[in-house]
Amino acid sequence: MTALVVAALSAREVSRRRTALLLVITLPLWFYLVRRDQTGQSVRMLTLGIGWAVSTLTLFVVNASRGVDPRLRLSGASTAAVIGGRLLAMTGGGVILALGYWVLTALDQDLDRPAAVALIMVLAAVLAAPLGGLVAALLPRELEGALALLSICAVQMLADPAGLVAKLMPFWSAREIGTYAIDATAPDYLWRGLAHAAVTWLICAGGTWAIFAWRLRLPRYPEP
Amino acid sequence: MTGWDSRFETELLRLGVQPGRARQLAEETAQQAAECAAAPDSLFGPAHLYARHLLSELKTAAVPLGGAKGPVRLRLTGVGKRYRRRTVLDGVNLTVRAGEVAAIVGANGCGKSTLLRICAGLTRPTSGSVQRTRRVGFVPQDAGTADWLTADEHFTLFGAAAGMAPRRARSTGEHLAARLAWRPTKSQPTQHLSGGTRQKLNLVLGELHAPDLLLLDEPYQGFDQGTYLDFWQQVHSWRDAGRAVVVVTHLLHDLQHVDHVHDLGAAQ
Repeated sequence: MTALVVAALSAREVSRRRTALLLVITLPLWFYLVRRDQTGQSVRMLTLGIGWAVSTLTLFVVNASRGVDPRLRLSGASTAAVIGGRLLAMTGGGVILALGYWVLTALDQDLDRPAAVALIMVLAAVLAAPLGGLVAALLPRELEGALALLSICAVQMLADPAGLVAKLMPFWSAREIGTYAIDATAPDYLWRGLAHAAVTWLICAGGTWAIFAWRLRLPRYPEP
Repeated sequence: MTGWDSRFETELLRLGVQPGRARQLAEETAQQAAECAAAPDSLFGPAHLYARHLLSELKTAAVPLGGAKGPVRLRLTGVGKRYRRRTVLDGVNLTVRAGEVAAIVGANGCGKSTLLRICAGLTRPTSGSVQRTRRVGFVPQDAGTADWLTADEHFTLFGAAAGMAPRRARSTGEHLAARLAWRPTKSQPTQHLSGGTRQKLNLVLGELHAPDLLLLDEPYQGFDQGTYLDFWQQVHSWRDAGRAVVVVTHLLHDLQHVDHVHDLGAAQ
């Protein structure tokens, strides 16, 4: 219940920052447009843009609530409800954004496996929310967090997909499933991508929860 | 009896009123509402708030005031705090009982806010021990609110954290705000509120879940003269309703309103 209220109000809070929201929504579009002539590249860039936009938004939302969260804990909310609610809101918003861009690509490109394309976009959004949360947990200041996310996305974009560095990046799954979706390869790409996504999500969500559980812990003072 | 009446009686019992007296007060209140041909909810507001208000008005002795005090709500024994080599607090002892207001005073940087955060549990003491009641409300000096949410949404959010239904949280928040002569605007985000009004919101949020111990860190920043007087009246009504209140202040004329003063002295 508390998590749902936190999620609903976080979404409402973000919806009032119209300029920021507009920039977040359009960010993936620029990634898409610069490679629009090549289906594979445009979809991969668009997916990375979605991941970057959603993770950056989550970073700012989580950081902006630093003054409120300890008071919510004192009032009786659990860390899981507070942090889970915010991640839920950002994941939900990210999935809507991803589905919107999927409609765009389905109309604008000739896709062999449109369902798989939808999957990578939704996966990017689902992974991006806890990634933004984890970066916010590790780097409490917004500028540092934003620069860290920029570095992660830049490395993800430039690294050789077959190399170790790319595999250690959070959105490698999107590239792997993207190969299955665009180049019509065998399903092992799909399964490898899904496994990577699951592990990445567990690390990011678990890490975010663990750091905030420690940071927002309240001592059990005995009653007088 | 209606749901409101039974909630009202339950809250009176929780505040320490004898069962017979609580029943009598509940019946009298129901009768009063019937005479006015109005629902008790619309006439008196939320049951739990009206119970506290009535108690303070009647000076019903939920806790004995004056000579013998109520149970201890907060006890600090030898509390100290160090940040690396810098000692901020050393050997602080403080006991606050139900129905008491304590002030923490001292120079800038002497650790007043740190002590209050230790009382709340948001900062850990390096030494000493803290005992306190579970239900605590904390009002920080600044921040503690979300810029893009309205006052009503804050009530819903903090109410949900305390397990209150959204409607009840909003109605409670609006009643508490009215006591500070403030009527929250439905669509105005907190960032557009004046500093004083934001502090009123801060105060209401600290009190929303009816805590037994209130920790206030210079809560009147930005208040005008009228609101400042309303604030102290509110503190006295909390005290009369059997709550313990700790206020961090640097205003010497505030001290006439409190039962005891703890001076942390100069900055260390």
